[in-house]
Amino acid sequence: MITEILETLFLILTALMIAYLTRHYIFTLTVLKNHQKHEKATTVGNAAYQPTVSILIPALNEEKVIGRILQRMTELTYPKDKMEIIVIDDGSTDDTGKIAEQCSKAHSYIKVIHRSEKEGGRGKASTLNAGLKHAKGEIILCFDADYYPQRDILEKLTKEFADPKVGAVQGRVTVLNEPQNIVTRLVTLERIGGYRVDQQARDSLGLITQLGGTVAGLRRDLLESLGRWDESILAEDTDITFRVYLAGYKIRYVNEAECYEEAVESWRAYWKQRYRWAKGHMQCAFKHSLKVLKSSNLRFREKVDGLLLLNVYFMPILALLSWIISVPLFFLKPPPWFGIFWVSIPISIYSFVGNFAPFFEVGIGAYLDGRTRAQWLIPLLIFTFLYNIPICTKALIDLLISKIFRRNGNHWAKTVHSGNGNSYIMS
Amino acid sequence: MRMIPNLTPTFILLILGVSTFIFIMFLPALLELKKHKDAGPRLIMNDAPVMQTKIRETILMVNVEEEHRFDQMLAKKMADVMAVLPNLEA
Repeated sequence: MITEILETLFLILTALMIAYLTRHYIFTLTVLKNHQKHEKATTVGNAAYQPTVSILIPALNEEKVIGRILQRMTELTYPKDKMEIIVIDDGSTDDTGKIAEQCSKAHSYIKVIHRSEKEGGRGKASTLNAGLKHAKGEIILCFDADYYPQRDILEKLTKEFADPKVGAVQGRVTVLNEPQNIVTRLVTLERIGGYRVDQQARDSLGLITQLGGTVAGLRRDLLESLGRWDESILAEDTDITFRVYLAGYKIRYVNEAECYEEAVESWRAYWKQRYRWAKGHMQCAFKHSLKVLKSSNLRFREKVDGLLLLNVYFMPILALLSWIISVPLFFLKPPPWFGIFWVSIPISIYSFVGNFAPFFEVGIGAYLDGRTRAQWLIPLLIFTFLYNIPICTKALIDLLISKIFRRNGNHWAKTVHSGNGNSYIMS
Repeated sequence: MRMIPNLTPTFILLILGVSTFIFIMFLPALLELKKHKDAGPRLIMNDAPVMQTKIRETILMVNVEEEHRFDQMLAKKMADVMAVLPNLEA
């Protein structure tokens, strides 16, 4: 009896891994195919369409980077009379507020909102909602304080809103401080796979393009009608992604709208950031999975992709579970036609599936970016994959505990930005 | 009497095989980490000239340092050679 249960469970888990593997193969082949067709820009927005925009920059103790992004905002080519920049000083205890105020005095379109220490530090969704109250633009764009965009990024992002069915847009994130150490190098590879291939393919195939919470824009009226950002969710970006789709709108990914970010620089910071992402994503999975299944606004393939996307952070845990199951199964019921492959199947399959952006996806992304030498580091991604197993497991356990005991287990562990990326930008 | 297969060579072969596989798998990564040959951060399009200037400057600085180091080595070698030569002026 136990053997049968283990066997069934094992086969279900293996089937799930194969589903993710197939999905990522389709993504990779789609991007390769489009590349061979020399499709430089996949988006078709109207460049003449220039709505008014409000750029929200949440900032909590960002004195090392806030000056850099505000300086950059003044260099944007978008008409200044059509844009406003709102810095939300989220109760900073350093000089973030002062630096932002200085910029505000020099440029009338930069506004600063100060939140007290008591009001601030409640998470990004809360900060963005505070900024939204003061925003007047038709389009709301979000940038993190450590970001550094292209000068013409607003034109590239906003042109997509000429299509009334488009509710939101997402640009590409590129790591600035890549050469710093092995962590930043590996995060770079993850970003390449995640944006250059994963997001691009989902956009091309008409699946669920995910908002990343930064370098992202939403229609203001849509955001208001959806009830703004949900402050009870740690991954407010994933949450709003699904709410946009469930409301019948689309999200476009604009690969040519690029922006630098400062990647986390240590394994500890990586843990904190990914733990927050994992827990937030799982919250969204509990909140939206059923709604996605029932939705009449989503096509079948969008539902399948949406469910796979929502549940992706459970996969490292399920991989671990399948490895554990395969060991007793091997001794209890060695299959005559597979032999030792009972053990190797889940390992090899999920190794290929990898860490959300699988290895082949990263490799093709690096190839398309002309980064063939960066591909040499791909085998090291096995460590980030293994590292994500305890991260996701802890996130799930903490989430279940907070659900069972009805506690608010949301703690916003803010990523600290050192400003080391400044050395890669010439003034 | 039944023959009991000697498992020791099999285990040694297995360990050697696995070690070699792991070594080969990680070798490119270790080489790249030891001596970076990658172009560095991807250039976002309209910042390309600025970043390229920065990278070019960095390469130039490295070259100047290399040249300086080479000059110093050459001078030291020449000094060593001259030290063993007979003093013609004497």
